[in-house]
Amino acid sequence: MKKKRFLSVLGMIGLAAALLVSGCSSQSSTQQGDKVELYMGYSSDPPTKKKMEEIIAKFEQSHPHIKIKTMTAPYDDFYQKLTTQIAAGNAPDLWQSDGTKVFGYAQRGAILDITDYVTKEINKDELNGLEFNKDADGKYWGVPQGIQVGALFYNKDLFDKAGVPYPTADWTWDDLKAASVKLTLDANGKNADDPAFDKKSVKQYGFAFFGSSRGAFNILKAYGGGVLDPTLTKSIINSPENKKAVEWMVDGMQRKLFPNPADLKAFQSNFKAFLSGAVAMQVDIYAATTSMNGAGLNYDVAPMPKGPDGKRFAPVIANSWVINKKAEEQKVKAAKEWITYWTTSDEAQKEWTEVGEAIPVKKSVANSEMFLNPATKPENKKVFLETLEFAGTIDTNAVFTEWVKVFTDNLAELFMDKYGTDEFITKTDQGIQKVLDDFFKKK
Amino acid sequence: MQKRLPLNKIAGYLFVIASALIMLVPFLTTVFNSLKTYKQYMQFPPEWLPNPTQWSNYTTVWEQANFSSYTINSLIVAILSVIGALLSSSMIAFAFARLRFPFRDTLFMIVLGTMMIPGIVTIVPQFIIFKNLGLLDTLAPLWILEWLGQPFAIFLMRQAFLNIPKDYEEAAKLDGCNPFQIYWRVFLPMCKPSLATLAVFTFMGKWNEILAPVIYLISDENFTLPIGILSLSGQYKTEDQLLVAGALISLIPILIVFLFAEKYFVEGSKTSGLK
Repeated sequence: MKKKRFLSVLGMIGLAAALLVSGCSSQSSTQQGDKVELYMGYSSDPPTKKKMEEIIAKFEQSHPHIKIKTMTAPYDDFYQKLTTQIAAGNAPDLWQSDGTKVFGYAQRGAILDITDYVTKEINKDELNGLEFNKDADGKYWGVPQGIQVGALFYNKDLFDKAGVPYPTADWTWDDLKAASVKLTLDANGKNADDPAFDKKSVKQYGFAFFGSSRGAFNILKAYGGGVLDPTLTKSIINSPENKKAVEWMVDGMQRKLFPNPADLKAFQSNFKAFLSGAVAMQVDIYAATTSMNGAGLNYDVAPMPKGPDGKRFAPVIANSWVINKKAEEQKVKAAKEWITYWTTSDEAQKEWTEVGEAIPVKKSVANSEMFLNPATKPENKKVFLETLEFAGTIDTNAVFTEWVKVFTDNLAELFMDKYGTDEFITKTDQGIQKVLDDFFKKK
Repeated sequence: MQKRLPLNKIAGYLFVIASALIMLVPFLTTVFNSLKTYKQYMQFPPEWLPNPTQWSNYTTVWEQANFSSYTINSLIVAILSVIGALLSSSMIAFAFARLRFPFRDTLFMIVLGTMMIPGIVTIVPQFIIFKNLGLLDTLAPLWILEWLGQPFAIFLMRQAFLNIPKDYEEAAKLDGCNPFQIYWRVFLPMCKPSLATLAVFTFMGKWNEILAPVIYLISDENFTLPIGILSLSGQYKTEDQLLVAGALISLIPILIVFLFAEKYFVEGSKTSGLK
């Protein structure tokens, strides 16, 4: 009996103590001595995390007055956490932002306008992609951390098997479709040109596109159309150029040259279609090379095809360092020291290039043998650097995620023959305009 | 007399075998996928059996996802949560089931009502509260709420207590027990199945929880297992075969807990109408 009473008392004490102890622990102070503690956030996976830690260690060695505390998580969770932290007012002083999110943070007042720093302290001629973070008013909101740019990836084995010459820099989107006809095979190995071609049992497709940077947006742009006007507040979906581009895509889907959203679903993930060698061509960004090399694909890249009037478009995303608007003055100073180190130090640039996930922001490193190394695939890496000359952003604004959702959802319905091109155009135009008005008009 | 195989028995076995296969095949596919190389994982159409068998995935994932230290954190969170949930929720449930006080039923309705609020809505206010308490980047936010009662757990325990005949309570009272003693010595021991059910639910929920750890933890040394596994997925490239291997490893503790509690658990599900 006594033992049981003892247990019950113990339980009560335990409960009380747990509450007490956890309530008393306090946050550690952010500063020790005259060392500045810089709180930095970045999204990561095991290889990128390891590399970033190495670079941070080197930075701390050469900048002994700065101590870096990090907050990192995988991509999706990182942004979920960051959003909560921004709302609660304790976000990192400095973070690495996806290029598509920079203007979103800027327009919601979360990050610092760093125009002054960029114009005075950054040598623009030495860096790739700085201009992509300049808004319509000429203000800079971030400094590139790594560049992603789109190109046409093609599976060399499939081209060789079909006896089709590889894509060239002169290709138009119609050339791509013509090649796709020969590269689309049914279960009996007959290509889409063959009268006996069985549309119901396609086992290899010519070309796949999906999502935003890998998708229809690029084709609209090459045809002279687009989604948003230069102020990024008005939809320009309703145009004859867009209609032509959309008809081009629907035709390819109906002839089964391109997998439609349902066909892609069968591969578990959109990316697996090309990775498994079931698709001959795909638009993708530089980072895709890591998974393609991992899958042991025999592939190369060509510049994005041209539209009917010779116009060319490739998507670019400049993932960037941004500074918290609420950061204290000395931390802002430390953050700028980090950004300067990142963009100017050959050491840091080369280390980061080794991960193979992004095109280096420092031009001298991007043009070096180290990056262009022909021993690793794709051989034609110069295509990425050349593409930077004509590449453009994918209309990223504060409501980027929201309008992309309307755009891709409607496209999926169009490709699944839920409605025709005209209905798609009016519906998408209204849908996107509503998303824009909901944010910008209320502001 | 010739022995005949009864037809209905054969049909029965066939049905059971078929159902077992439906359950087993996806699980085996997962196991096999965890033993493939990235290249083989990406193959389409997929091959079922791994070739060659990549056993090293398990050691790689153990190191990359930092399993050894994350497992300890996960265990701390799960065990403290289970203790907290069992103590606090059963105590509150006892009050709702057996004690008389003004507005008892209204209060109970309010407790149940909080179940209608999606957890995601309260994330930011909760974050601010924990921030002001100085509990960010500690394990406390992950288990402390369990010590303050959880509506579902309270509901579960209240149902269990309501099923106990009033005679027990009266007999205990005659023997001189106060309400706490009635709760501790009479009611709790009689509700073991429900307690086991609650323990398994809480353990599983906490063991697999991902949102709260992602939001509240910052330093590597405080991370829990789900973060470790998730951190294997990259923005551009995910080694899916490692992810699958990690998920399988993290399944083991849940299996162990379930095996221990199974006897009570099934009984508990029956009486509480849960499955």
